[in-house]
Amino acid sequence: MIKAYRSRLIASVVLALLLFTIPLFASTFFVVQIGIQSLFLGIVALSLIFLAGYGGMVSLAQVALYGVAGYVYAILTVTYNAPWYVGVLVGLLFTSVLAALFALIAIRTQGIYFLMITLAQAMLVYFYVNQDRIFAGGHSGINGVRPPVVGALDLANPTVFYYMTLLIALLVYLGLYYLLRSPFGLALQGIRDNMQRMRSLGYQTSRHRVAAFTLAGFIAALGGIIGVWYNGSISPGSIDLTRTINVLIIAVLGGISYLEGAFVGAVFFTLVTNFASSYTDRFNTVIGIAFLLVALFFPDGLIGLAKKAVQLLSRGDSGRRKGTRQQVSTVSSQAVQAKTSTPKLSDAITGDTPR
Amino acid sequence: MNQFIVYTLNGLTLGGLYFLVAAGFTLVFGLMRVVNLAHGSLYLLGAYLGWSVADATGNWYLALIISPLMVAVVGILLQQGLLRRIQGQDLREALVTIGVSIVVGDLLLAYYGGADYEVQMPDLLNGGVSLGFGLIYPAIRISVLLLAIIIGVCLWLLLKRTRLGMIIRAGIDDRDMVSATGINVQLVFAIVFGLGALLAGLAGVMGGSNLSIHPGADGEYLLYSLIVVIIGGMGSIGGAALGALLVGLIQQYGLAYFPTYSVLITFAIMIIVLAVRPQGLLGRKA
Repeated sequence: MIKAYRSRLIASVVLALLLFTIPLFASTFFVVQIGIQSLFLGIVALSLIFLAGYGGMVSLAQVALYGVAGYVYAILTVTYNAPWYVGVLVGLLFTSVLAALFALIAIRTQGIYFLMITLAQAMLVYFYVNQDRIFAGGHSGINGVRPPVVGALDLANPTVFYYMTLLIALLVYLGLYYLLRSPFGLALQGIRDNMQRMRSLGYQTSRHRVAAFTLAGFIAALGGIIGVWYNGSISPGSIDLTRTINVLIIAVLGGISYLEGAFVGAVFFTLVTNFASSYTDRFNTVIGIAFLLVALFFPDGLIGLAKKAVQLLSRGDSGRRKGTRQQVSTVSSQAVQAKTSTPKLSDAITGDTPR
Repeated sequence: MNQFIVYTLNGLTLGGLYFLVAAGFTLVFGLMRVVNLAHGSLYLLGAYLGWSVADATGNWYLALIISPLMVAVVGILLQQGLLRRIQGQDLREALVTIGVSIVVGDLLLAYYGGADYEVQMPDLLNGGVSLGFGLIYPAIRISVLLLAIIIGVCLWLLLKRTRLGMIIRAGIDDRDMVSATGINVQLVFAIVFGLGALLAGLAGVMGGSNLSIHPGADGEYLLYSLIVVIIGGMGSIGGAALGALLVGLIQQYGLAYFPTYSVLITFAIMIIVLAVRPQGLLGRKA
């Protein structure tokens, strides 16, 4: 166990180092198009995974809430010339309150009904901003949003923007990681597994669910503020059904029962949409088929798939070690050689130190 | 006054179209607990196929028959090929239908492009019908409403007066018991899914003649089906009819009298229904 823990720690440190040094060696295009985009899409997907994987609430309203925060920010700063921090604060607050209201309606239902009602909520936000020409600018939305200058930091600079997004994503991830191990998080997972039992144990299941949904709305709103800075504009097109489904795709592809799945899925998704689109116009078909395959065969997503592969590998190793001692010595010596030549890699994969 | 009558008629015909789409959705959901999020795609597929058949043969009536049948085949393939292997896992089934809707939507966009289409109609339906008081109303809209009523009556007869309908109603109440009495439930599932797809295709042809066909309509009609079914009660044909009428009328009145906020009115109705009767107006408690 300790070894596994240590190797996981090493892997996290390596990953963190990689994430923090990307702007030093990668092109600006990569940092902006892949890095920033997968980070803020990951934040939105994280809010969905928190709800779906740990709260049993598959919400399709996360992108709409993301959009609401962006809209509020854009309306306040562009239309009414408010300073950026007012936009951020009001955007986050307004979206959280709206999320709480959405939750009060949606938590009357569970499972597939919850998905349907949140989808209806999301689409109504979309149709509303599409129709509202007074505040939301109708079909063309609101343009001319600028990332602010915070103290000495100019967020219009891609590198600064990347680090800010990375920091927020990391904070949200760690915050959720610890929250899920707190009494609140454990109760939430209990509610996911058996609501009746939790209720009879004296838990206020409805309040738990509303609180979780509101928190997820706040996280989606964080993504929305970053998103509107990144895009410089917001329109109904940024929260339509396709975008709504995209975040679900990201979560499911990455692995809906792992927080990390949000970012794995987001990186995969942005890579496919950026690079497949240069080979074929039908990248949506590619993504749709990938999503279908995952939904049909790998319900735990890419992370689940990786875990399974690791398990298979390590089982194969131990089987070879235990059972087949008298086998041709060259095979085992080759295996030993292979192991010793790449100690770090096998360490990370099997969670086991080579002998 | 005449204005009001026209809005009412618009609302009724729109409600008729919504009923055609939502009836299939609610039927499939009621029996199989499958939330078919590709239902809007089946609608759009029906509309485009209807356009193609009408364009190739010059016969609208042929399009009205052939296109829904083709959509029904697609629906059965979807159910047998993909959904059957994960039957009973409702969230996974919903995810699979989302995947299907993405692929279908993208392929339709590839084949038909982004332009708007309208299904070519026969002369009989192209003109207007005089309703007295100097009111002239488009014939196609009247025929949408008539078709919705006919389909509604047929569905009611099917469910209440036939052996298949009896099996379906029993299946909605208790799937396992029906299967235990020796009825081939899988066959019934395939038939019902095909019927649901057929209705979506039919609505597609009618909607494509009455309004227009454009990419993105799949999402719109999926949403309307959802709202209609949430308001009316999931799994209930009568609920779908009532919900469709309400949503159609509210949308038209809203567009006429409060253009900016009409969507919010629909939303408010949905919230009120959910708050007072979470199972929908004519739905039964799960």
